Amino acid sequence: MKSVIWSRYKRELAAAVAYLALLVAVGAVAPSFYSAANLRDLLVNNAPVLIVATGMTMVIIVREIDISVGSQFAVCSVVAGLLAKAGAPIPLLIPALIAVGAAMGALNGWLIGRLRIPSIIATLAMYVAWRDALRWATQGAWVQGLPDDFQWFGLGQSRGQWLIVAAAIALLVFFAWALRNLRAGRALYAVGSQREAARLLGLNPSALVFGVFTLMGALVGLAALLNAVRFATVPSNAGTGLELKAIASVVVGGTAISGGRGTLIGTLIGTALLGTTGTALTFAGINPFWEKAMQGAIILVALISEVALGRLTHEPR
Amino acid sequence: MPIKTEGSWRARLFPNNEWALVLVIAVECAIFGATGRNFLTAANGFEVARLGVELGLIAFALTPIIITGGIDLSVGSMMALAAVVLGGLWRDGHWPLPAAVLAALGVGLAGGGLNALLIARFRFPPLIVTLGTFSLFRGIAEGLTRGIENYSGFDPRFLFWGQGYVGGLIPTQLFVLVSVFLFYAHLVHRTAFGRSLRAIGFSAEGARYAGIRVARQLACLYVLSGFVSALAAIIYVAHLGQAKSDAGTGYELMAITSVVIGGTSIFGGHGTIWGTALGLFAIVILQNGLRLSGQPAELAGVLTGALLIATILIDRVVRRPKAPQVAQMNAEENTEVRNSQIAVLSIVILLAALIVAGSNWFLINSLRRELRSATGERATAGPAAHRTVIAMMPKAKGDPYFISCKQGADEAARELGVELLWDGPTELDPAKQNEVVEAWITRGVDAIAVSVENRVGISTVLRKARERGIKVLTWDADAERDARDFFVNQATPQGIGYTLTDEAARILGGRGEFAIITASLSAANQNEWIKYIKERLAQKYPDLKLVAIQPSEGDRDRAFAETQTVLKVYPNVRLIMAIAAPAVPGAAEAVKQAGRRDVKVIGLSLPSMCRTYIHEGIIESIVLWNTRDLGYLTVYAAQAAATGRLKRGDRQLEAGRLGRVEVADDEVRLGAPFIFNRENIDRFDF
Amino acid sequence: MKPLLQVRAIDKSYAGVQALRDAHLELFAGEVHALVGENGAGKSTLIKIITGAVEPDGGEIWLNGQRVAEISPRRAKELGIAAIYQQPALFPELSVAENIALGLESGGLLARVNWRARRQQAAALLARVGARILPDREAGALTMAEQQLVEIARAIGARSRILIMDEPTAALSEEETRHLFRVIGELRDAGVAVIYISHRLEELSAIADRVTVLRDGRTIGTYRMEELDRQQLIRLMVGRELSAVFPWRARKLGEPVLELCDFGSSTAGIENINLTVHAGEIVGLAGLVGAGRTELARAIFGLVPADRGELRLRGVPVRIGDPTQAIACGIAYLPEDRQRHGVIPEMAISANITLASLDALASPWGMDFRRERAIAAHYVQRLGIKTPSIYAPVQTLSGGNQQKVALGRWLATEPQVIILDEPTQGVDVGTKAEIHRLMIELAAQGAAILMISSEMPELLGMSDRIAVMREGTIVAQLAREEATQERVLALALGQ
Repeated sequence: MKSVIWSRYKRELAAAVAYLALLVAVGAVAPSFYSAANLRDLLVNNAPVLIVATGMTMVIIVREIDISVGSQFAVCSVVAGLLAKAGAPIPLLIPALIAVGAAMGALNGWLIGRLRIPSIIATLAMYVAWRDALRWATQGAWVQGLPDDFQWFGLGQSRGQWLIVAAAIALLVFFAWALRNLRAGRALYAVGSQREAARLLGLNPSALVFGVFTLMGALVGLAALLNAVRFATVPSNAGTGLELKAIASVVVGGTAISGGRGTLIGTLIGTALLGTTGTALTFAGINPFWEKAMQGAIILVALISEVALGRLTHEPR
Repeated sequence: MPIKTEGSWRARLFPNNEWALVLVIAVECAIFGATGRNFLTAANGFEVARLGVELGLIAFALTPIIITGGIDLSVGSMMALAAVVLGGLWRDGHWPLPAAVLAALGVGLAGGGLNALLIARFRFPPLIVTLGTFSLFRGIAEGLTRGIENYSGFDPRFLFWGQGYVGGLIPTQLFVLVSVFLFYAHLVHRTAFGRSLRAIGFSAEGARYAGIRVARQLACLYVLSGFVSALAAIIYVAHLGQAKSDAGTGYELMAITSVVIGGTSIFGGHGTIWGTALGLFAIVILQNGLRLSGQPAELAGVLTGALLIATILIDRVVRRPKAPQVAQMNAEENTEVRNSQIAVLSIVILLAALIVAGSNWFLINSLRRELRSATGERATAGPAAHRTVIAMMPKAKGDPYFISCKQGADEAARELGVELLWDGPTELDPAKQNEVVEAWITRGVDAIAVSVENRVGISTVLRKARERGIKVLTWDADAERDARDFFVNQATPQGIGYTLTDEAARILGGRGEFAIITASLSAANQNEWIKYIKERLAQKYPDLKLVAIQPSEGDRDRAFAETQTVLKVYPNVRLIMAIAAPAVPGAAEAVKQAGRRDVKVIGLSLPSMCRTYIHEGIIESIVLWNTRDLGYLTVYAAQAAATGRLKRGDRQLEAGRLGRVEVADDEVRLGAPFIFNRENIDRFDF
Repeated sequence: MKPLLQVRAIDKSYAGVQALRDAHLELFAGEVHALVGENGAGKSTLIKIITGAVEPDGGEIWLNGQRVAEISPRRAKELGIAAIYQQPALFPELSVAENIALGLESGGLLARVNWRARRQQAAALLARVGARILPDREAGALTMAEQQLVEIARAIGARSRILIMDEPTAALSEEETRHLFRVIGELRDAGVAVIYISHRLEELSAIADRVTVLRDGRTIGTYRMEELDRQQLIRLMVGRELSAVFPWRARKLGEPVLELCDFGSSTAGIENINLTVHAGEIVGLAGLVGAGRTELARAIFGLVPADRGELRLRGVPVRIGDPTQAIACGIAYLPEDRQRHGVIPEMAISANITLASLDALASPWGMDFRRERAIAAHYVQRLGIKTPSIYAPVQTLSGGNQQKVALGRWLATEPQVIILDEPTQGVDVGTKAEIHRLMIELAAQGAAILMISSEMPELLGMSDRIAVMREGTIVAQLAREEATQERVLALALGQ
């Protein structure tokens, strides 16, 4: 039983071990890293990324990819700001933004699931199109002069912070549970693992792919809103580089890019690992110049650990 | 039955319907020829080609990789790494330049080798491997240069490779592009190696059964791609005259876009090098044409996205999916394919029509506007012949700072009745600035005013503009002195650096710790300011201690997180100096949320972004000038220079509502930087 | 009693090759119905049509006296049809329990998964088929036999009215097989109709009530199992007398070209192969699917590492690490799976023909396209490939012509040893004869030919000698004169 768990989750465990090593090293050099305030700030800052990575995990499990999330994120942020400024009731923003995100995700899902355009192309196109369309529409202007109850949904800072963290954790837990315990979740694994075999068992791969991208969009919409309410203004360039950050977090967390395998626990570890490296470096007094190199190295090491752990069941894509 | 041993020329030349792109390019040329000024000239043709060189090199290297069903995301980062190795070895290592160039190419080979090892030998998915090296290579480049180093001052003979003209007309690097194009065209289409790549792309397993060494072929390609990226980096350095760790940012996605639009299938197998070239030029011409027609450049992104989807849909309609049972066709289905080709043709035409319609909509709007203003002008000023055209460029269009400058510029343009072209990169991108200036030279304008991102790189182009009789001004940030007629000076880097330091010393009472939140670690302006801040500290404030410089990447949220960390790691910090417009509100929000009333924020930003924080007492003060006035004055100065009213040696300039403005030699002075604080902030509405 | 399932006049063709023509099947509740036929007789296609995995070109399916208009995998599941296909269709990343459950559970996508129930169900089903497999193991890590047992467990668990099993015992041990039969017996007694496909004829007499024989895509007839003895059954499957004329003629054999001494490969599961092929000789390799014939060919060609024994070419021991070396040594291998391995369907005929001899076309100035054209035109003409142009993609050709292209590719390498794996499978009669003529011609020119074939007349008609494989090794070699259909089949079946 023990060995079953070990063999099934070794990628996640490898990431967790790496993360622990990082934590211990930082703890030795800069114990103040473990102050409650720092941990809370890390949680709040990485919560939106975690939400996006949650969706990305599901996208990658079905053997697709979404590189348009950063641009969608920016569009959703601005929409959130504009709605609030136009006087929309603040609680209404939540369903509204989920809907906006889901609509953009559904467009991806339609192109990929229905028209069978390879996801990397469809979302590349959307990545360029949404980003430039937003620039065109806003001309780079920030959304300012938002109502006072926009920030933290009017709940105040500490409650607002916990709301964001709680939302991210709740979503993670829910989807982790759903991936494990709902038929839909298991269907994603099946489709990502063997699309044709899944079809023979009576599943509908196209519909599932459509659903996953729609869900991805909805999560991006929510993440954008939760990120936006941490501030009193909305910039028009939010979410640059978010797509790569999310994909890297998912992959470092042990999800196979060839589909069918991966867990949200892994994604949580991956997000934590990549999300705290920068801060940890600062705490350790290391120059921030090397941060990007570190992140690249982490991705490659995560890959190579797969060989070290003797797990190579898939042909490269 | 006679068997044809000659393929039809269409099938041979355009196996993937690349002719559709010829059509698209033709439509683009027709539209822009009609709407853009000087679009259809030989000089512009060469300029367009020059703009595509670095991107083209990378796209050519990516084409065979994508033909094998792989991908390489690390190409742009490899450019950065090769560029800084070149610059570093040459300047700091005192290597002779040719040796440094060879070393840079060697780095390209090594980086490509790393990809090759992981992909071909260990059979990891290329997407993930190159995503890792994408971060790794740029990270190493940033680490090596500490983000700050900007290697410039290269030998003119070297710069000739990126800036010179052969025979006075043909840009030098075009020869490199053509050579690499010919090399790849030969490799992919005329060699046994190229044939084997296709086989691998269609079916790696099938290729193995035919005795093809799949791993070795793939390894060659990835190594080659690293090498060509390094070559692109060398051209890039010669083109801009500088080597920095931000070289080639975002090139990978643009290159992939060109390749896919060019008919190469992401599934592998199909694709031609000339398809990639056509795809590349379809995009570059679109950007150039929109610019020359005075259309918003953002339209290019939207249209590119549409083109991408359309291309792949064509692919989908013409070709069947790879599933074996569908891959077989009988004679009956053959005619069906021909029918679908007709369908494809109509789709392409429809798409082209859409682009036309889209552009026309803007064209009509702008024409209408032009007509209206022209008639309006005639009514007031009579049939005064020529309307002055002033082209003005910010460092980045999206930056709120420049947006507020634009408001002043628009105001002045209205008052003076001149036509104002406002265009520039969407994000900080020195290469793009050159591109825009080139387009303006081609278009023909009366005056160009540039806020310079890369001093060395842009000066060559600006000199060229002056040779063509265009008045050249710089504003906000200067170019080399002989490259422009006037500099509209709002504040010198020294003035900014000193003022900020003095302000910090005043607030801290001359002693204590502070930290800087900068833009990106490689941002040129910020690094210059930091230089003067350090200088001032050394001169005057020995008890003030600068403990950390953290990057914000021009991202408010990142500045927020970095400030949070700084406050915790350096608990004695009493002041945060944020020197990028979006970083100031980010830092202020962090201080506010941390509840640290003992920490003050100062910096360089817009009053409108900081107003609430200033009122709350979190931001003590921001240093800036009146950005709206800066834009306003620049247009006035440009108009005066273009009409000859402003000459070197003039002492003052009449500038509308600003009254008489001081002119010192070749500098038009807006006045010293201004300190906004709680007392005066509400008097400014920008 | 009314039949539960009626399959009427089903037609299906792949790539212009008729897999089924006018196939019939009648199935009653509570019977085990065997479906037999030679390799390629259309058994697998027929059951795929019943389960909705493949759409028929024509014909009708009636269930319980009602016509089923359109049948998809999902619909089949609802109708109570479950199947084990020949290729395992497990999800390698998922656990055994899940693999079993995914096929069984119904309900909406938002329904909850009960892991404990899944595990219990899996454990119960696995116990029922007599498999000792932990439900939590990852399916990708199972052996072939274990995977097969999991599939059997999944199919049995479906509680379907119709259970289809395609070669369920191919990888099973005797003990496991016996256990399976007991389960099938129980299901039959519970009123389930079982369609059972197997090459192991002795199994059929043990469990089948009735048997339907397919030959060349047609239903030959349905018989009560006790009506037939094994010999009669074999005759029905083989069908024709050896009336077809093969162009075989006696040739003088030359030196030994390919010699295998105790040759084997642990990855491919073959061992102790001793075989010699002489110049000018055609050696037929007989055996059932899964007996290791293709694996032997792959090991010789360097596609899987050969780690045991020795391979000698013209007396010289050689080690072959990959196909490139094999080709350099003058070995050619025409693989069984034409679409995936034999040709690259999207590429032009000319490119396919020269793909294995590209090095010969390389010059410092790139490829010699003129020579390529000449070579391609030569083989198109010599093999009589029917195409308007040598640049037509291979996928536009019929199956027979595709096979000729695949052959042309190997002839262009001018090989000494030619391994042909099912060279005439899915090929029309005319082309078949042409390929046979070509084989004789090549042999007469001194090539050593090793032919794998599941078609008995072809084996008997074309081979100078027949080696019979079973369970990964050669069990017998028969001279042309001593080989009969019955004898070869009996050896292959292990009688």
